[in-house]
Amino acid sequence: MLQLIADGLVVGSVISLGAVGLTLTYSILRFANFGQGEFLTWGAYLAVSALSLTLAVTGAGVMAPIEPFSFGWQLPVAMVASAALTAALALALDWALFARLRRTGSAITLVIASFGAALALRNLLQFLYGTLPEYYTREIQIAIRLVPRDTLGGLRVTPDQMLVLGVTAAAVIGLHLLLTRTTLGRAMRATAQNPALARVAGVDVEGVVRATWVIGAGLAAVAGVMAGLVGQIRPGLGFELLLPLFAAAILGGIGSVWGAVAGGLIVGLAESFSVPLFGAEYRLATAFLVLIAILLLRPRGLFGEKA
Amino acid sequence: MTAALEFCAVEGGYEPGLPILRGASLAVQQGEIVALLGPNGAGKSTLVKAAAGLVPIWSGSVMLGGRDITRVPAHRMVREGLGFVPQTENVFANLSVLENLQLAAALVPKERRGSIDAMFHLFPDLARQRSLPAGRLSGGQRQMVAVARALVASPSVLMLDEPSAGLSPLLVGVVFERLKAVRETGVTILLVEQNVKAALAIADRAAVLVEGRERLVGAASDLADDGRLAGLYLGAGVH
Repeated sequence: MLQLIADGLVVGSVISLGAVGLTLTYSILRFANFGQGEFLTWGAYLAVSALSLTLAVTGAGVMAPIEPFSFGWQLPVAMVASAALTAALALALDWALFARLRRTGSAITLVIASFGAALALRNLLQFLYGTLPEYYTREIQIAIRLVPRDTLGGLRVTPDQMLVLGVTAAAVIGLHLLLTRTTLGRAMRATAQNPALARVAGVDVEGVVRATWVIGAGLAAVAGVMAGLVGQIRPGLGFELLLPLFAAAILGGIGSVWGAVAGGLIVGLAESFSVPLFGAEYRLATAFLVLIAILLLRPRGLFGEKA
Repeated sequence: MTAALEFCAVEGGYEPGLPILRGASLAVQQGEIVALLGPNGAGKSTLVKAAAGLVPIWSGSVMLGGRDITRVPAHRMVREGLGFVPQTENVFANLSVLENLQLAAALVPKERRGSIDAMFHLFPDLARQRSLPAGRLSGGQRQMVAVARALVASPSVLMLDEPSAGLSPLLVGVVFERLKAVRETGVTILLVEQNVKAALAIADRAAVLVEGRERLVGAASDLADDGRLAGLYLGAGVH
């Protein structure tokens, strides 16, 4: 029982991070970005490249782990570089594609374009990195027993898994503070609510759009690195998480940061509990059943506001 | 004397080939309250939205204190010194009253930034509601938040699009009294209004816009008794 909760929270943390980016871009850019999953994959792979580069530059060869984790200081550096590069990729995509379509197209045009961009990004990634799985580290971690086996089945987690939870909490709290305590955050919330009024009030809406891409893609990259830290890095990593990301964002109430976090954790827990109950192949189906059940009771999602 | 705000033969509209403004000209002098009147569809709201950068201007110009602002993007107007309060959805409902003002203040250079405390002094009702989301305020209080949001950026000219819309007569009086107090601080006001009586009561001058052009301009006190004003509302020309 406790183990299922812990596993669900770890998976849910990765989903939450990606879903927060998705809900931000949806509320400010006003379209569902199917490319969000690919930002997650690119983030994971760009961190692989940044890690290799850091190891080569420092002549370290292999990472000396920072106990009790499985990785050395090079991985956090690579994650920051990856977040910056993924944000740059998102900005380039916006400049080349979405900005033009925002001026001339409808929301559905943007959605379809994002679907096309996602396909292009995934194939480009496979071309550059191949299809074999990658790992940040091959260090084997011993899970720490936190709760004895005779208490609700016991609980064992690795330090890396606990780090995933910690990084997610820190990222979400940081984002919350940005949105509520800074001018950029208030401008983002104002733009999400009423772009025309935001312009009249002096908000550079195009600047806010760029900031949203940077934050959304940056969070996706962090989610990708966290997913890679506790699992394999594969070209399909983000695509496989795309439906859970959307489920989390909708479940929480599209546009709500805390809703996306709650939605991600619920989807993660639903997936985790479905494995012993129905089998691993029904993980996603179970998550969507939970989504449907909650939306039937609360159509706006958990934290969604009345239109 | 340079006008605080001047429209010079402005033509424009939302869709190419469908002009709403057909050569509108109007000068608002420093420190004045000018009421912009006219029947529905005359182009009053479009004219102020065009000045605010929200509606394309095809020809003509808009001058603010002698500077041409015709092509200035909407988000730069606040920095230029032009404030605008739209008719509807004029506050950020999910932001608190304080956040509405903080955002507006932060978007202008420090030397232009007004005091939020001064806004709460001008609108005491808002001081008590500062932590509430603006969307939970009454219609009159929202109008005051919208006006305070515009004023905290220290505009030289403030344009308001039908601030009395949807308000009870009592609240209209309160809002308009506040506008008179705003004028006392040196802000020039251009007021688009359907409530002719209330607008003429606080305005120095008024202009009547019909089919995208000004048809009648004069002292508010004169226009209040001018039969031509009613004629223009009823579709008659000015002779």
